[in-house]
Amino acid sequence: MKLSIRETAALLNVSLQTLRRWDNKKILKPERQSQSAHRYYTEDVIEDFLSGNFKYLSDMAQRWAFNKNILHAPARLYCADRSVFKARLTKLEMFLMQDVGVGEKYSLVTSVVGEIGNNSFDHNLGNWPDLPGIFFGYVLSEKKIILADRGQGILATLRRIRPELANDQAALLTAFTEVISGRAPESRGNGLKYVKNVVENNTMKLWFQSGNATLKISVKTNGLNINEAKNNLRGCLAIIEY
Amino acid sequence: MVIQLKKFGTTLTSREDGREAWAAIQPLLKELSDTEALQIDFAGVNTFSPSWGDEFLTPFFKKFKNQLTLLNTENASVKATLAMLEYKK
Repeated sequence: MKLSIRETAALLNVSLQTLRRWDNKKILKPERQSQSAHRYYTEDVIEDFLSGNFKYLSDMAQRWAFNKNILHAPARLYCADRSVFKARLTKLEMFLMQDVGVGEKYSLVTSVVGEIGNNSFDHNLGNWPDLPGIFFGYVLSEKKIILADRGQGILATLRRIRPELANDQAALLTAFTEVISGRAPESRGNGLKYVKNVVENNTMKLWFQSGNATLKISVKTNGLNINEAKNNLRGCLAIIEY
Repeated sequence: MVIQLKKFGTTLTSREDGREAWAAIQPLLKELSDTEALQIDFAGVNTFSPSWGDEFLTPFFKKFKNQLTLLNTENASVKATLAMLEYKK
């Protein structure tokens, strides 16, 4: 698929002028028949650009997750079902294993991403409000990973078995500290508690939002740091730094 | 009996796959006597997580607790998951 300069500008949320500048500076090169011809961008070129620029990747993921309307995401960043996610998680694992800077931590990072991504599928199977699947991208050079879904969110999922949960903040606290599953009568649900433990103990960082609650975990926060967000997100969004 | 987890894959992270692995192992477990030692070997596993572990290891521990030993659990995600699930080696 080829996109015009206007379509590319809309996809990346930048101006036409920025794209022209990026073309001159060889940051993002379009296809052109000649110097005077229109610029066209292949999805491959855009995906390559995003895999090296977390700022724009993160911006796209957030618009994809927050926007009322369903936005197009480049194919390499969208996992429509669990099998696609599984294949891409294995690919990420391979990249991390090859990165000498990551070392033995590769398996912890992969397991955290696996828990968060699989959680989206487990808790929304058969109940996706609009678009099924997750947005999953990463920038290896910046050691940052982003996952998002347009699902029901943590509060709606947990209220099935904990109707007394007051708000999104309480739901995040429960999800990350108690062994609980929104898939009653299933009694398990260690996933996000595991994520918290691994992030805290291995110099990683996690930023997570669901509803109007945000959560930060890092060595600095010394536990969970839960706050109220400015904008409401029905599903979930997670940024992992490792 | 030794069960090599790498035969189920090297990235063991989803509940769905854990459930599938537990179902696949049932015919073998029928041959196991009450006294025979059972070993689960993690050698060759790259990534392991609680969702897979819940579906596969938890029923093992419930059914064969006294016969079970875990081998080659040095991988960081294996260690972190086992600590989470509170299984003893």
